[in-house]
Amino acid sequence: MSLFGTNTGFGAGTTGVFGSATTDSHNPMKDVEVTSPPDDSISCLAFSPPTMNGNFLIGGSWANDVRCWEVQDNGQTVPKAQQMHTGPVLDVCWSDDGSKVYTASCDKTAKMWDLNTNQATQIAQHDGPIRTIHWITAPNYSCAMTGSWDKTLKFWDTRSPNPMMSLQMPERCYCADVVYPMAVVATAERGLIVYQLENQPSEFRRIDSPLKHQHRCVAIFKDKQNKPTGFALGSIEGRVAIHYISPPNPAKDNFTFKCHRSNGTNTATPQDIYAVNAISFHPVHGTLATVGSDGRFSFWDKDARTKLKTSEQLDQPITACCFNNTGNIFAYASSYDWSKGHEYYNPQKKNYIFLRNATEELKPRNKKW
Amino acid sequence: MAECDAEWELCKENIQPLRHGRTISALHQALCHQHEGNNTALNQKKQSYESELRLYEGDDPLDVWVRYIKWTKQTYPQGGKESNLSVLLQRAVRRFTDDKKYQDDIRYVELWIEFAEGCSDPMDIYRFMQAQGIGTMQAALYIAWSEENEKRGNLKMADSIFQNGVKCGAQPSEKLHAFHRALQARVCRQMMSSMTDQKKDHDDDEDGEGSEEPQRSSLVELKAKGKKKAVVPINRASASVGYARGLHFKQPLGPKQNSRLEIFDENKNPETEPQEPRLEIWTAPPTARAKENEQKPEKWTNVKLPLKSRSGLSVAVPPPLPTFQPFVEEDHQPPAVTPCKINPAVNSVLSARKPCRVQETPLKMLSQHTQHAAEGKPREQSMYCKELLYCGVIEFCFEELRAERYRQKLQTDRQTD
Repeated sequence: MSLFGTNTGFGAGTTGVFGSATTDSHNPMKDVEVTSPPDDSISCLAFSPPTMNGNFLIGGSWANDVRCWEVQDNGQTVPKAQQMHTGPVLDVCWSDDGSKVYTASCDKTAKMWDLNTNQATQIAQHDGPIRTIHWITAPNYSCAMTGSWDKTLKFWDTRSPNPMMSLQMPERCYCADVVYPMAVVATAERGLIVYQLENQPSEFRRIDSPLKHQHRCVAIFKDKQNKPTGFALGSIEGRVAIHYISPPNPAKDNFTFKCHRSNGTNTATPQDIYAVNAISFHPVHGTLATVGSDGRFSFWDKDARTKLKTSEQLDQPITACCFNNTGNIFAYASSYDWSKGHEYYNPQKKNYIFLRNATEELKPRNKKW
Repeated sequence: MAECDAEWELCKENIQPLRHGRTISALHQALCHQHEGNNTALNQKKQSYESELRLYEGDDPLDVWVRYIKWTKQTYPQGGKESNLSVLLQRAVRRFTDDKKYQDDIRYVELWIEFAEGCSDPMDIYRFMQAQGIGTMQAALYIAWSEENEKRGNLKMADSIFQNGVKCGAQPSEKLHAFHRALQARVCRQMMSSMTDQKKDHDDDEDGEGSEEPQRSSLVELKAKGKKKAVVPINRASASVGYARGLHFKQPLGPKQNSRLEIFDENKNPETEPQEPRLEIWTAPPTARAKENEQKPEKWTNVKLPLKSRSGLSVAVPPPLPTFQPFVEEDHQPPAVTPCKINPAVNSVLSARKPCRVQETPLKMLSQHTQHAAEGKPREQSMYCKELLYCGVIEFCFEELRAERYRQKLQTDRQTD
C-alpha cells in the first residue's frame, strides 16, 4: 500500500490520547483523533472485514476523496492511501476478503479500489449521483449493489460495463443496508423496500413506513442465529424505528423511539429536534449506536428498550459512524451535514474522525452476571 | 418522430385545454415521452426546476415558480395526479402570501386564481385573497370571482363584485368594464328568455300535464322499465355543476318557473350569499380539497345482519366440503413462484387498510392555526432547513441540496475558466 503524499506531513506520534489539555468542544468525549482527516465533510465510514488482520478504516468525504487508515492496537492511526473521485464520495464498502474497497460518488460512477495495487477502476454508471454501495456475496454470485438518485438499484459484477440487473424504484434511493440474504432500501417520499438476495436479487416486500418524516439512515440487525431479521430506520426528525420483517406480534415487537432531541422536560421552551444521521449495530452485542445533527452519539439496547449512553455535545454534527468487526472500536465523524443549508457551512472548520473504546459501553445492561 | 406527429390526434380527449393554449411542439414532445415511457428526461427537467427553487438567489423567486408551473402544464397534458399541479400551485401561493412585493403581481394573482379553480370552494379562496389584499388591484381577481358567482346563479353578488372592483380601482379597468357589461347583457337576456319561458310554461300548465319535467333536448324520452313506474330524472347532476352560459342559461337556484308562490325551504341553499364580501381575518389560506378519486366515507346500509346462532356466538359456518375430487390434469405443475426465503409464511398479500385521515377543511385549519397562536410556542421545532427540503413538490435530502450546490459551483467554475 502506498502512503499518502508527503505533503500531508504528520508523524505517527501525533495521534494518541490528548488528555485534558483540550478545552474546546470539538472533542468533549476525549476520544482518539484519527490523523489526517479529510478536508471536507465526512460522508461515510467503514471498518475492514474480519478476514483481514488488523483494523483498517475507510472514510469518504465531500472533498472527493476516499482515505484509508490503519488503526493500531494502541489506538494510533496511520494513514495508508487515498483515492480520488471527480465528485463527492457518498458511500464506501469493503469486499469480503478486504482486498478491495468500493466507492460511490456524486459523479454518477462507482469505483473498485484494489488496495494491493492501489488502482481504482470504474465498475458502475448511473444517470444520477450514486448514494449507496454494498458488496453482496451469495453462494452463486457476488456483485456490488448501487442505489442512486436516478431511482434505480443496480447490481454489478465489476467486470462488465453493464449491470447484471437493474431494478426500478418508486423514488430516489436515500439509504440502504445489506446483510445477506436481505437488503433494505429506504427512498424519498418515505418509501421502504425489502429485497431478498438468494439465487438472484428480487423485490421481497414494500413496507409502509413506520416513520412520519424523511428517511435518513437504515441498518439491518440480526437475530440470535446471526440471520438478518429486521432493521432500524432513522428519520430526519429525531426518531428511530425498529422494524422486524416477520415478527410474531407486529404490534408489540415493532416500535419507534425518540432520539437526538434537546431536553423536552422543560415546557417553557420548545423541544429541538435533530436529524438522525447514521445508525450502526454492534457486531457482538447487537446493541446500536445512533449519531445525529445535534453533535451527539447515543448507544441503545433495542431488546431492553433502554438508552445505554448519550455523549456530550460536539461543536459539529456527527455525520457517520461504524464499529470494527470485533466491536471494540466505535468510529464517528464530526463534520457539517448540511442540515441548515449552505449559509451555515464553514469550509475553514476542521473535520474530525474519533475512535472510542466500545467494549464496555455497548454491553446490554440487563444481562445476569 | 413521424409516428409521434399523429400522436396528439389519438390522445385529443386526454389533453386538457389551457387558457393560453399549448405550444404544439411541447405537446408533441410530452406525448412522445409518454408514448415511449421515457421518463428520465422529464425527471431530470423536473429535478432541475426543483433545485432551482431551492438555490435561487436573485430578487424574483416567483419567476422560477411561474416557469415551473408553466412547464408542468405543458408537459402533462392530461393533468391529474402525476403532474402534481394542484400541490405545486398550493405551495407556490402559500410561499408568497406574506410577500408584499407580489400582492398585485399579475403572475401571482393568476396562480391564485388557478389554485382557486382547482379547489372545491373557490369562493373561500377569493375571500381570503381579498382579506389579505392579494390581487385587489387586479381586474383578473374580480372577473374570476364574479364568474364563480355567476356559475352558482348568484347574479346579484356577481354584479356587486364587479362594482367592488371598480371601486377599488382595479387595473386594467377597460377589461373589468367589458366583463361587467357582458355580465349585465347575459343577465338581461336571461331574464327575457325566462319571462317568455314562464309564459309558455303557463300556457302548458293550462294544457294539463307534462310540463313539470324538463324535456330531453336530444335522444328519445326516458321510459320506465319493468313493473316500477319510476322514471329517472333527466337532470341528474347537481345544480351547481351544470353551468351554461348564453342563451340556455337556466336559473339553477331560483324558484320553479311554474310555481307562483315561493316557499321557504331550510334545506335549500340560501339563495343569496352575503351581499357584501365580508372582511374576515384569515390567518391561513384554505387548503385545496378538490382531490381526484377521493370519496367521502358514508354509511353503506342500515340493515344489520341478525345473529343466527342460538348460543349467541356468531360463528361463520364453513361451506360444506365437496363430495367429489376436483379433476387435476396430469401434467399440471404449480406455477413458479419467485423465491422468497426470508419467511414465505408471513407474506401477507393484503395489508390492513389504514384509517382514513381526517379531512382538513379550511375552517378546521384556521381554527388550528389560531389555537397554535393562543398556545404561544410550538412544542417541538425542527433544527434543520425544513423549508429548503420541502420547498417544491418533491422532497430533497441534505445531500441532494449539497450536491446541487456543488454542481452549480462546478459549472460556474468551468465557465470562468
